[in-house]
Formats: sequence, structure tokens, C-alpha cells
Amino acid sequence: MDTEVLMKLNNVTKSYVMGEVTVEALKETTLDIYSGELLVILGPSGSGKSTLLNIIGGMDKPSSGEIIFKDRNLSKASDHELTLFRRNEIGFVFQFYNLISDLTAGENVELAASLVKNPLTSQEVLTQVGLADRIDHFPSQLSGGEQQRISIARAMVKNPTLLLCDEPTGALDYQTGKTILGLLKKAQELMGRTIIIVTHNTAIGEIADRVVRMRSGSIAEISLNESPVPPERIEW
Amino acid sequence: MKVLTHRLWHTIKGSLGQFLGMAVIIAVGISLYIGITTAFFNLGQSQEAFYKDNNFADYYFYVVRAPESIIRQVEAVPGVTLVTGRIQKDIPVFKDNQERATVRLTSYPLPIENEVNSIQLLDGRLFSEYPADGGIEVLVDPGYFDANKLAFGDTINIVAENKKYPVKVVGTATGPEFTYIMKDASNMVPDYETFGIMMVPHNQSQELFNLPGQVNQVIVQLAPGADIDQAVKAIKDILAPYGNLASFPRKDQLSHAALDAELSGLDAISGFLPLIFLSIAAGIQFVILRRMIKTQRTQIGIMKAIGFDNRQIIFHFSSYAIMVCVVGATAGIVFGIFMASVFSDMYAMFFNLPQAIGGINYEVILYSLMLSLGVGVLAGFTASRPILSISPAESMRSLPPSKSSRSLLENLPGFWNKLSSSWKMAFRTISRNRLRLLLTMAGIVSAVALLIVSMFTNDAVDYMMDQHFNQESSYDYMLHFNQPVKESELLNISRLEGVELIEGIFSLPVRVHYNSRTSEDLLMGINPSNTLKHPAKENGVVIPVPDEGVIISRKSAERLGLKVGDAVQVETLLGMGQAHYADIKITAINYQLFGNESYVSLQQANKILNESNLLTGAVMKVDSVYASYIESELSDMTGINSIVSRQKERDNIMSLMDSMIYMVSTMIMFSVILGFVIIYNSVVMSFNERKRELASLLTIGFTRKEVSSIMWKETIPQAIPSILLGLPAGRLLAELYFGSVEFDMWYMPVIIYPSSYVLAALGGLVFVLLGQWVAGRGIQKLDIIELSKNMD
Repeated sequence: MDTEVLMKLNNVTKSYVMGEVTVEALKETTLDIYSGELLVILGPSGSGKSTLLNIIGGMDKPSSGEIIFKDRNLSKASDHELTLFRRNEIGFVFQFYNLISDLTAGENVELAASLVKNPLTSQEVLTQVGLADRIDHFPSQLSGGEQQRISIARAMVKNPTLLLCDEPTGALDYQTGKTILGLLKKAQELMGRTIIIVTHNTAIGEIADRVVRMRSGSIAEISLNESPVPPERIEW
Repeated sequence: MKVLTHRLWHTIKGSLGQFLGMAVIIAVGISLYIGITTAFFNLGQSQEAFYKDNNFADYYFYVVRAPESIIRQVEAVPGVTLVTGRIQKDIPVFKDNQERATVRLTSYPLPIENEVNSIQLLDGRLFSEYPADGGIEVLVDPGYFDANKLAFGDTINIVAENKKYPVKVVGTATGPEFTYIMKDASNMVPDYETFGIMMVPHNQSQELFNLPGQVNQVIVQLAPGADIDQAVKAIKDILAPYGNLASFPRKDQLSHAALDAELSGLDAISGFLPLIFLSIAAGIQFVILRRMIKTQRTQIGIMKAIGFDNRQIIFHFSSYAIMVCVVGATAGIVFGIFMASVFSDMYAMFFNLPQAIGGINYEVILYSLMLSLGVGVLAGFTASRPILSISPAESMRSLPPSKSSRSLLENLPGFWNKLSSSWKMAFRTISRNRLRLLLTMAGIVSAVALLIVSMFTNDAVDYMMDQHFNQESSYDYMLHFNQPVKESELLNISRLEGVELIEGIFSLPVRVHYNSRTSEDLLMGINPSNTLKHPAKENGVVIPVPDEGVIISRKSAERLGLKVGDAVQVETLLGMGQAHYADIKITAINYQLFGNESYVSLQQANKILNESNLLTGAVMKVDSVYASYIESELSDMTGINSIVSRQKERDNIMSLMDSMIYMVSTMIMFSVILGFVIIYNSVVMSFNERKRELASLLTIGFTRKEVSSIMWKETIPQAIPSILLGLPAGRLLAELYFGSVEFDMWYMPVIIYPSSYVLAALGGLVFVLLGQWVAGRGIQKLDIIELSKNMD
């Protein structure tokens, strides 16, 4: 694993005003994200893991603190700058895939590719996720696992620096879930991607290089995993 | 059910824009229905009551002169129920201000009540047969009375049989044949200042016209179901020795024809106009409810799981549509009553009907309520049917992605493959929601078509004005002499300062015979070299008058089935001397818009009467600086029966056009509202349905502007073809409307200027842009964080 810091979060907080109550979703959090690592953020519901992921991915702005990405301070970025950041640096994979139902698998991937200057080819990424033969299928014609694989292909085609996955196996069965994790691991190992997976499933922590455990809006523990387990061998 | 009521309020609040949009469409539909139907009912009832109370004639017979005793003979004809003999003549009036007017002097035997076409006193008192001061007492129509600022007791100077008589105005009155007062069909609108109705006791008119014991008109009422042809033939036979000048049924009576045309117009639009709005509202409600049920599937499942039954849930969802209709109908009724009163005021201005036209018609309001609730119930219950098939357990599972269907355009790979992903997405979304596509297109087409129809009235009047005042005739004054005069007499007039051009005319009333059928017509004799008055072709192009032959009127051509090349026989109906007969060949058909007459050369008109160089009138062009001088000089000439000023006619039309602007703007506003709501709903529905997808585009790096452009791409392929389709649809609607209205008296072509098409298309673009912009603002508020949350 490379030790170069890709992103630095310094004392980042996030609070939401909900009616008359202010909810502190993320308390002062400091975290370094290393280039090329597979980081798993673990925590129960409401622990602030998704908030953290959203802030890392430029989907949300912190209430205070600093986010440095490749020497750029993202905490002061405008909406437009954040859009460009997401466009050029980030690939997202969601629990519910969020594919465009009126585009075929291939077109969903191409749509993302059309946003960046030097994308990979959709054929290439679809082959990598093993769905080259499903290129002309609509999401409604694909299983959940297949849809998630398309979603990964869509994220990867932009050749992003960071691949962010929010409960990527949450809606999938055990076996399919493991296949998806295998794909993500492959993306890290073969293509050198930095991957962050947010999940409540502790077993997934075993495949990570590092595991961040969150509780009540704070990082409770950061542990280094000396020997990550291959996804096909984990159990839950 | 308090909880469900609360839930309904929440749903309404959550979709307030759409809710109000639909309610506005319902309100427009209902207010149009109430406004137009109330006007139609009230005007129709007012007409019917007036006709009944005053024994409106079924048939008119004009003779030169006939003894009153023939009335008994006519009464004896089977099928005839009531007969009145009277004298009616158009005579000149010398006004105090040196101007001329014409009144249609009509006589009434006393007591009036049981006579055909009796009159109703509106103000003042009835005339006396033998006034104490020995003079003549008259009633006039209220339009003439007001326009000429008369007062009871005023004296008017009339000319009868070349003698001036002062007559005293003692009241105002109207009759069923005077609801719309125009001298003849050559006028576009009434001119109360220069033409009115004067009612006198029968004995006085006999004296005025030197017709003791005689009448010149016989008007009859026929029994319902009587053999009209038989009766008319029998009456004509009785009147034959007295010079039967003309005979026509009620439908050809000018005032009745105008009122009937208005009624049939109202009848036509009272149906289709509200129908367009209400059916589109029903369609939108259906689509919105269907979508609502689809997205709230889980909640419906939970409701079922808790124990609500299908009936309750269906009723709950249908209540949404019913609430839309209740709110829409309430607003519609309020606005409809206002509109009905505006219409009534307008009709009161147009037509002389003694009974109030206004008033709230509760029956119509009740119908409108039933109609709107019907729309709500129909849309609500049909849209709610899928609720039946939702099972509580299944509904908890998240839905698979919406099924996509391939667009028809994919059959054109050359075109399809060139499209970007966002265009492909737009086309597929459109073709997936076929019902919505159909509804949106129907809505836009209707809105644009209504824009065309709104503007077409303006174009038609503008065209008619141009045709009437510039193409077919361009004179400033038309004169009619008391008797035919020699052409040389025109010299006196042409010498007046300011007269630029004067051209003689000979108007000769005739009966056209063809294949044993007849049609009464007016032969207009003009010099082939004339420049101030012309017949015209169907397309408005003027036709030169031939030396020989006749350019037959459209009316006669239609009645007798005539075509160019046919030969007809004309019989003169001059009312004096023997009738003359002549055979003439048809050289063209005259589609002149107003006062559709047949044209011959001046020489030929004279030839028919075995005369030469005679004229009955003249048309003239004057220098406008001298107009009032010339008018007053002409007014002093006793040989002149009437003077028609075109400027006055034009002013009258223009003032009526002013009142039309409100109607046109209201219609334009309604069309734009319809178009706006359609687009707004379509965009909001599509947006709500695809919120997650659109938000996911934001996460992968699309800007909000780019996402917004995707929504635009979905609207454009629906909007542009619909706007274009709306243009011919508008023309079709205008044609259908004219087709449904009986305009026997006038020839009304459907004229829509290219500029109106352009304006309607622009109007279409405006409501599309507006609807899309307002609905598309949601994109700015799209929350991408929501994506990481659960599906429902």
C-alpha cells in the first residue's frame, strides 16, 4: 500500500438543523486517506458513516473543519467546484444502484464516460465487471447483482481517483454481495484505485487495508489490517 | 377517518402546485360552461318568450299594394293561424343637424296585442290613432332614440311620398323582428344613429303613403305541423294580382337570422370549449393519481396491513381528484357567474330583447357541479383501480427499476446512434409513458388550437373590414334616390366641392327563376369601368362586371343550384308598373361578404326595364376635408332617399371590436393557462418519478444545469410537434365552429393570417418555457444526500 496521503480531513464536523433541534451528525473528525488503500468505514445506523462518506465525496459540505484533497482545500469549494470534483475524481456506488432506467447498461456507463476527458471505454469496464454480454439490457432486465456491477462499471469508467461505495452489498444476497466485494478488491489491486466502503457489516472490514469504526458521530477506532482476507473467504 | 382526512391534506399540500393547476383547469372549464351556457339559455329563453308574446311571424309577403280585405282570404288558408296586414317602408328623416337618417316606418293596427309581430312598449306611452292635436304620434326603437338623443314629445321630420311631415315621439318600443336592427345584410353592424324603426298607427301610415284601406305587407303565423309549402303557395296565389314583391320565411328575416347565428354559435362553443378543459383536467388527474398510487405503494400496503379495506383506500385516493374538482368547481362557479353577467351585458348591448337577459341560472350551476364532480369521480375511481391488486406483503418490497421500452426512433439506427445518452434517455422516457405523452400532446395541441381560434376572430373581422371597405368597395358615401333619375343628374352632385369621384348605380329588386325555382335578389347595375364597388370571387379578388351577363349572388347560386354558364330568368319587382322579364347568362358567382347582391352592367339593368341611362343611386368618393359639408348639402336634396356614410359604419365596427378585445384576451389567457398547467404537470410528474435518477446524475458529476437540460430534452420532443400540430388543429377548430354556425345571410370565410400562426406558435413556446421553468425549479432543490437513504 502506498502511504501518500490523498485526502486529509482536519477537525471536520457536520451538523443539521432539524426543526428546533440541531443534530451533530459528525463530531470533530480527523482522518487521512491514503492513495491506493481500501478503507472500510464500519458503524451502526446513525453513527455518521454515511455523512463522512458524503463529505469525502463532495456531496455535502462540512459545517467546520478542513478537507484537503491533493493540496486543494475542498471545505471552501463552491457548488460548481464540488460538481467538478465529483465529476473528475469520484466514482460512487450506492446500495440501490441508482441506474437510469431508460438507458441500457452500456448507455448508463457511456453517460458517465461522457463527462470526463479521458474515460476508459465502456466495453472495457463492462468486461471487467463481467457484463460485456449485457450491454444492451435495461436495468429492469438485470438482477440486483448485475445492476450493482453496472453501477460499479459506471463509477469506474470515469477513471476516478476515489471510488466511494455506500453499503454496496446492502441490497444483495450473500453470494452476490461477495462477488461485488471481489470486484471492488480487484479494482483496488489491479487498477490501483483508492476505495472507501461504508457498511454496517463488520465482516467486510476483513477485506480492508484499514478499518475506521464509528460510533455516535465520531471515529472510535482506526485499525490497520496487516493481512486483508480475500472477499471470497469472508463470512457473515 | 380523521387520519385519512389528515393524510389527504398532507398529500394536497405536498403537491400543491399540481393540485392548484388542475383546479384552475377545472375552474376555467366550469366558468366557460356556466358563462356560455347561461348566456345561451337566457338568450334563447328571452328570444322564445319574446317571439311567443309578440306572435313573431313565420312568413313574410311583400306586395305593391293590396286591399285589407285580402287578410280575410289569407286567414282562410289551411294552416294559417294569424294574419296581419301592414305598411312598412323605409323613408328618409331630416335631422336637426342637417344630417339624414332612414327609418323603417312600420304600421300597427290597434289594438296591437293580437297581431302578428306585435310590439312591446318599453318607455313612454303608446301612440294614439287620432291624437288630440291632430298630428302623428310614433314610437321608435330604443337604439335610435338613444343614439339621436331624443326625448318624449320631440318632433322628427320624415318624408313620405315626397312630402315632409313632423311626427311626435311618444315612446320607445321593440318587436320580435327588431331585436337586431340593420337596414339590410350589406351592413356589418347596426348603426342606430342613421337607421331606426319607427312605429305608427296603421291608419296614419295609410294616410302618409296615400294607401287608404290598403297594406303592402302580409305577415302570417302558421300552425305547428302545417304544410308550409302548400300554405305559402296558396297565399302567393291570393296575393299574385297585387304584385308579390317578395316572400320569405322567418329564417331569412335579418334580425332573427342574426340572433339565431349568435345562438347557434353559443350552442356550438358551449359544448366543445368546456369539454376540452374538463377532459384534459380529467386526463391529468388520472395520470397523477396513477403515479401517486404507484409511488405510495408501500404506504397503501401498510394501510391494508393495518386493516383499511380496499373501498376506504380507493375512496381516500379518489378524494384527491374529487377535492381538485370541488375547489375548481367552486372557483369556476364564482367566475362563471361573473362571466355570465359580462356576456349578458354584451348581449343586452347587441340585441333588443325586452326581458332581462341576465340572471343566475341555477340549473346550469347544478349541472356544472355535477359535471365537475363527475370528472373527479371518473378520474379518481378509474385511476384508483390498481389499489385492488396491491398486496400488503408484496408492497413492502422495493420496486424493480421501471420497465423501459425502446423508442420507435431506435428503428432508425442511423439517427439513433448519433444521439447522446441524454437524448436517448429523453426519448425512451417519453415512449415509456405513452398515456402521459398522449395527454401532454393533446393538451398542448388544444392550447395552441385555442390560441389560433382566439386570434382568428380578430383576423376574420380584420379581413372582412379590409374586404368590405377597401377591396369590394371603396366609396365614402352611397346615395339612394327616391325615384330613378337620369345619369346626367349626377352632375349636380359631382359639382359639389370636394367630390372626387361619383359613379351611378342601379339597384333593381328581382326574382331569379331557374328550373321552376325562384330566389329573390337584388341586381346591382354598375358601369363595367366602375372603381368604387365590385363583386368578388371566393378568394376575395374582385370581378369586373361584364357588359352582358350576370354575376349571380352566392345566396341565389346556392338556393337555385346555379353554376357559371347557366342562364336564368329575372323578373323585376319594382312595385310599380308591369314586371319585366329577361334571360341572362351567369358569368361568375359573387362571394362578396356583405350585402351579397347580383351584378349586371348599368346598361343591362336599364335594358331589362326598356330604359336607358337611368340610375337609382350613386356611390362617391370625397375629400375628407369636405365630408361634413358634402353630407349636409346632400341632406338638403329632397330627391335623395338615403345617404350611407362608410366612415360611420367603420367607426361603429371599431367600437364593437373594442368590446371583443376582452373576449379575445380572456380566451388567450385561458389557452396559456391550459398549456402552462399541462407542461407544468408533465414536468413535475416526470421529475418526481425520476428524482433518484436525476440526483444520481448529480453525484456522478453532472451539474444542475446539465440535469435541467435533460428535463428540457424530454419536453422539447413533445412540445414542438404538438405546437406545430396545434396550428392546423386550430384552423380545423375554426372551420368546425363556422360549420356549426348558420350564417345564411353572410359569407364568412375562415381567415387566419400567417402572423396569427406565428403568434400562436410563440404563445405555445411561452407556456412551454414558463411551465418547464416553474416545474424545473425543483432540480435546484434536488437533494443528493437523499440518495444514500432508503427507497421509500
